[in-house]
Amino acid sequence: MECQEERPIIYTMENKPIVTCAGDHNLFTSLYTSLAQQLPREPMEWRRTYGRAPKMIHLEANFVQFKEELLPKDGNKALLTFPFLHIYWTDCCDTEAYKSSVKEDMLRWHNSLRTHGSADWVIIVVESNDTKKKNKTNILPRSSIVDKIRSDFCNKQNDRCVVLSDPLKDSSRSQESWNSLLLKLRTLLLMSFTKNLGRFEDDMRTLREKRTQPGWSFCEYFMVQEELAFVFEMLQQFEDALVQYDELDALFTQYVLNFGAGDTANWLGSFCAPVRNWSGLLLRRPIDMEKRDSIQHEEASLLDLRSYLFSRQCTLLIFLQRPWEVTQRALELLHNCVQELRLLEVSVVDGALDCWVFLSCLEVLHRIEGCCDQAQLAANSSHTVGLWAYATDKLKSLGELCGLVSEKGPTSEDLNKTVDLLAGLGDERPETVNSLQSPYKKLKEALSSVEAFERHYLELSHAAMEMYRAIGRVRSARLVGKSLAEFHMRKGDPKKAETFLQEALKSYLSEGWSLPVTHTRRQIAECQKLLDRKEDYLQTSALLAGDSNLSTEERTHFCQEILNFAGKPGNPSHKATLSMSVFAQLTQLQFHPACASVHSGAALKVELTLRCMMPISVHIQQLAASIHFDVDHGGTHGRTKRAQRRTNLGVIEFKMGDSLAGLPCSAAPGPSLELDEVQDRSPSDNSLNSTGVVCKNTHLLLHHHEGTSLPDTLNCVSPPTVTMKEGAQMLKVQDVTLAPGNNSIVFTAPSGQAGTYTLRQLCATVGEVQFVLSHIYPSVRYEVYSQEPQLTVEPLSEPLLAGLPQMVKFTLLTGHYTVKKGDALQLSNAETLPILPSTSCTARISSPTAELVSESTLSIQSSEKVTSISLPPTPPYHVLEFQLEVVCVIPSGSERPANERLTNGEVRHRPRSYSHPDTPMTAIDQRMSIDCPWSIYSTLLALTFYIPFKTKHSLLSAGNRKYIQVCVQNVSDVNFTLAEVKLTEKQHASLELQSLNTKTHQLLCSKHSLFCLWEVRWKDELPSCMKCVFSASFSPLSQDTSAFKPFHYQFQLERVTTLYSVKAEISPPAGEQHCRSGLLCGLEVCITRLTEPAEGEIAEESKTDPDGLKVTKLMYEVADSNSNWAVCGKSSGMVLMPMKVNATHKVHIEVMPLFAGHLPFPKIKVLRYLPHTAALAIQPDPDSCVENDSLSLLDKTLDDQGDTASIRSRGSVHSVGSGDQQQRGVAMPRLEAFSPGQVFNHSHTQQVLVLPATDDHIMEVNAT
Amino acid sequence: MAHEAPFQLLHSELIHYICKTADGADSENGRSVTKLENMGFRVGQGLIERLTKDTARFKDELDVMKFICKDFWTCVFKKQIDNLRTNHQGIYVLQDNKFLLLCHMSAGKQYLEHAPKYLAFTCGLVRGALSNMGVKSIVTAEVSVMPACKFQVMIQKL
Amino acid sequence: MAVCIAVIAKENYPLYIRSVATQNELKFHYTVHTSLDVVEEKISSVGKALGDQRELYLGLLYPTEDYKVYGYVTNSKVKFVIVVDSSNTSLRDNEIRSMFRKLHNSFTDVMCNPFYNPGDPIQSKAFNGVVSGMMVQTG
Repeated sequence: MECQEERPIIYTMENKPIVTCAGDHNLFTSLYTSLAQQLPREPMEWRRTYGRAPKMIHLEANFVQFKEELLPKDGNKALLTFPFLHIYWTDCCDTEAYKSSVKEDMLRWHNSLRTHGSADWVIIVVESNDTKKKNKTNILPRSSIVDKIRSDFCNKQNDRCVVLSDPLKDSSRSQESWNSLLLKLRTLLLMSFTKNLGRFEDDMRTLREKRTQPGWSFCEYFMVQEELAFVFEMLQQFEDALVQYDELDALFTQYVLNFGAGDTANWLGSFCAPVRNWSGLLLRRPIDMEKRDSIQHEEASLLDLRSYLFSRQCTLLIFLQRPWEVTQRALELLHNCVQELRLLEVSVVDGALDCWVFLSCLEVLHRIEGCCDQAQLAANSSHTVGLWAYATDKLKSLGELCGLVSEKGPTSEDLNKTVDLLAGLGDERPETVNSLQSPYKKLKEALSSVEAFERHYLELSHAAMEMYRAIGRVRSARLVGKSLAEFHMRKGDPKKAETFLQEALKSYLSEGWSLPVTHTRRQIAECQKLLDRKEDYLQTSALLAGDSNLSTEERTHFCQEILNFAGKPGNPSHKATLSMSVFAQLTQLQFHPACASVHSGAALKVELTLRCMMPISVHIQQLAASIHFDVDHGGTHGRTKRAQRRTNLGVIEFKMGDSLAGLPCSAAPGPSLELDEVQDRSPSDNSLNSTGVVCKNTHLLLHHHEGTSLPDTLNCVSPPTVTMKEGAQMLKVQDVTLAPGNNSIVFTAPSGQAGTYTLRQLCATVGEVQFVLSHIYPSVRYEVYSQEPQLTVEPLSEPLLAGLPQMVKFTLLTGHYTVKKGDALQLSNAETLPILPSTSCTARISSPTAELVSESTLSIQSSEKVTSISLPPTPPYHVLEFQLEVVCVIPSGSERPANERLTNGEVRHRPRSYSHPDTPMTAIDQRMSIDCPWSIYSTLLALTFYIPFKTKHSLLSAGNRKYIQVCVQNVSDVNFTLAEVKLTEKQHASLELQSLNTKTHQLLCSKHSLFCLWEVRWKDELPSCMKCVFSASFSPLSQDTSAFKPFHYQFQLERVTTLYSVKAEISPPAGEQHCRSGLLCGLEVCITRLTEPAEGEIAEESKTDPDGLKVTKLMYEVADSNSNWAVCGKSSGMVLMPMKVNATHKVHIEVMPLFAGHLPFPKIKVLRYLPHTAALAIQPDPDSCVENDSLSLLDKTLDDQGDTASIRSRGSVHSVGSGDQQQRGVAMPRLEAFSPGQVFNHSHTQQVLVLPATDDHIMEVNAT
Repeated sequence: MAHEAPFQLLHSELIHYICKTADGADSENGRSVTKLENMGFRVGQGLIERLTKDTARFKDELDVMKFICKDFWTCVFKKQIDNLRTNHQGIYVLQDNKFLLLCHMSAGKQYLEHAPKYLAFTCGLVRGALSNMGVKSIVTAEVSVMPACKFQVMIQKL
Repeated sequence: MAVCIAVIAKENYPLYIRSVATQNELKFHYTVHTSLDVVEEKISSVGKALGDQRELYLGLLYPTEDYKVYGYVTNSKVKFVIVVDSSNTSLRDNEIRSMFRKLHNSFTDVMCNPFYNPGDPIQSKAFNGVVSGMMVQTG
């Protein structure tokens, strides 16, 4: 019967809305159980006011016996104690009883309700058959009672009276009535809720509106709104409940803010009171009554209020299954409280807040752990980790406050602090007294001793770090790590500290956060110094000394640290070795000369530009660059070019591995992509299918991304192990001082041996410290080559003219050879190329860079065999130049020098002349052989000369008289004067050549020709063969006559005597005075023998005429080249010619002129007829052949006009027959032409007048 | 459709200039197209920054590609990409059946050999846009019948 | 208003970071750097969370006792971080939003500036001006 007992209302979840029961008590009691059970069974929709969403709720009720005092007095704000519904029970069924007793009772009940203005009541009439059974007397229809009640009480509210029939039977009928009853009850309850809560909320609101009025109390209002919250909670409407608290929360926050903004609300008083208790949140009770009371009595501190508020919110949130919101709100709350206390300038003991926050964090975490399983917690550590970290922080600052973090434990003062703090915690709450791991215990213990503190702190930090890691908040984890490191440093344990710091540093470096990098580096430096890790420390110091984020003082300090170390003598065997990049950066390297390629022994300078990052100038004992040397043979100028191309003008830029300011590697761009155009043509016809843009280096781009490694300057958190390899050769400079910023250092590079020198490493030595650049990249190399001496001769002016003195330039590149005093060039003379001893011949000596070093006169001795030119002393790789004057003798005709040996013993070539394609002049290659001091072999050099003249000769005859004509053609571009033109015949003294040339000096301009003529006179008989030499002296027009040079031209004439003369007559036809075209005329040819048979003339032994005279066969031929004549009958014939003077032979031939006018005679040829038996006239000898073609060039043009005599035509066989007959030794009768001079044709240029035919018609006929 | 004319013409001039200033070697080893592409790249970067200023965060790669095909393309070429295909392995093919920068040039195969120059800039545009969206890629193009053309985007998996 | 404003590149290195002179700059560098954890968390959780409309504005990254750190990410994966003093309660969420918008607009201009090379630290005076505007203390 708990329902009837008076019990103090405790605010727990067991609360149910109160329903009072009046009337027949036993009846109710009998029904109570099923009623209590069945009421919540069905949910009911609750429609709400203020547009709030309707809710389905299960209604429960706490049935209590009706009492007057239960009814709310007016003004009472209590809701939990408010009876929402009043029920009157009765099972009375006879009117008498009703009238007599029941009605009274009902009235009394009803009135009391009315007086308290509660309209939420219902009368339940229970009826059962057995009650009927009891008194059979005067039974009225059941309904009548109900009707009565209705008419008496519920006027037009019939629903306020309900019938419940046979409640204890289970019959469908009873079931029905139950259901309708329950439904009724629920509806009424909800109606009551809506009505009363609505009213309550309205009052509440009006109360809130008053908040600006003086005397308004937040705490009072708090209690009111919380009442509402409680009711919602009671109705299991946790959302709504939570809303109430959140509103309160917001309201309060707003107040605090306004206060901060200057509006001083007086009610804040208690909250601004100094904090005396900081025993964190308490979340283990549904309601923390102490705090609630303190609020109610307006004694709560801010922390109390906040704590209470949060604990309620927490409870509700957990009912709502939103634990993670709890953690999140918790964090906000804690931060917020700290802020609010600051804002309200509440005085707080140092560290008190830290305690409060620490405890609260742990309390929240415990609460959450209490309501979630491990898996959930793990999955949601992102929500809890914040609290862990916060707690860790707070514990740390507490530790520092209480002197638990110092190496030497807490001072007495610290201990006092600790005591005060612990005092503020009060006693442990009963809930946690017997749990070992309560926050309270934790804190107490942590503050109890240094060791305990360390244990707890580390435990927390590691927990926090682990969680951060677990959820991938690496940066946060590292930050915790860093503060852990600071802790270790404080505890004097740099070793532990460094590992954390290094890890953090890595991430800052990799993400390019320069400031944290600097800061962390400094801490690391501290560790390393403590750990006495010299090189690491120096390395870090160097980095810091070059760190632009630091002040100059700090940088100078770290720089000084290095210098100090460098200063003090250590063991010489091992110097501290650091990577140079932290100290100075190689920005540029330049070669002088730029080509980075010199001959051995030459000076080569290497200029480095070092950007020193130290804040002060640093003195360096030695800066050295190790060199890798490798010999490569035949290193000559060829590679110089490459060197130039590789290093543009000898300057090599090194890209900045700027350690801090620069972007981290991750941002560094990869290889840039290269595109190209493509055309896809159809294989069948070459037409374009498609074109496009493609990427040429896809493979590179796609694969470069994996493994982005940090540039080593970034990387050297700990110095890389760099060692200076002691190369064989080194570039060294001693005692240089590097000022901050760019410095230029010049090395003199070794260039002794020919080969390639590659700079490998760079090392700066500062006392005991070495800064090493372990690998110079891009690789830098220079070449040293060695070169053989070279002698060249070239004409000073093109073209070199033969026959005249010409300047030629000798150039000697000494290469590796040093020309000593007394060294000389030995030129083997050829008489075809004499060297003219000149008085002043100076030699210029110039350096490879073409500036003049010295000039000196050459001494030249020439014997007839050798000319020796003694050279002035010349250093290697210099150029020696001088000029000599030489003359190339023009080969004249047929001189045939014996092959003589040269001084140097190799066969001397006769200069061959040939016609040069690009000049009309005939070229002669003159080779000269020179013995040089540097070589046992003599150097062969060739010069090409050009003969300025072309000469040709011809024999002219007039009957017996003979003339020789020589034509000199100037094919050069120079104008000459020709003098002393002579023609001489050597063998025949009797012979006289009478010059018909008038002028002595003749101007012969370029491209002009000069003709000279001589008549040949002879006494008794003309020699059949004449060897003539044409000679003249010539000089360029510019020069004076003294410079005349001889010019010779040899030629030979044979069989010049005239053997036959041929005369011709043309007689008009009979009776005509003149020839007429178209009419036959007679042509009489008369051949006369002029001379006795000469030797070498072949007769036909068989054929002799009766007089016994030798006869020879001639053949004549009348041919008219330009068809003026028609020859009738046989045009050619054979004549037997006696070989005696004046033997004559006449031939008559009919010819017909075809045109009128003065017609030239038809051509009459006379040829020698040779019988097959006859031997050949001349056996041409091979030499002469050689001779011939050597000269044939000279008179090539002669052949073109082949009628006049030429050497070439001598002895050559002219055949009328077809080509095949030409072969020698074929025994057949042949025709042989006479040499031009041998037959004189009188009719050569004769003409005859021909009149036109009288009748054209006839002529026409004849013409055909 | 006059408002895109300036871009169209400027673009042609750009190409003309690049190819004019290129020496023999350049044109034959495709340095000019590369140059054009790089220009496009920078433009793409800036443009996408502007265009995505008010859009929601992209879910994924595909989301980005869609944006390129719709908003981006419309902004630059006054129409959307007609067809986007992907193998879901990081290769996307964007097909434009009437590509703005080709349609004033020819229809069919005339000048086909010159077409690539007129696509290079756009390749860069797309690559630039994508890379600024954090999608590293290689963009190539193909034309067989103008003014239709295909752009192939190959995503670089990091 | 803001005590520190930072722009962080795709690759998580700072393109721009500026804090009020009065306070310890280093601390902000650490704070901002750490906040990237949460930024990444939020970005990666795109679409997972229901009803998340993938705003560029990431909201409050995390509060500390002294500061509130807000985040924003552009579609180009560039992050903006604004740190405000916790005591400064005058700032409401939408004010923070508008600050980020301003920042983003100005950043866009920087990106389109021919003299700016994407990925380099931001030196633009204009941008700096906008930032200064947000950092002036208003009560």
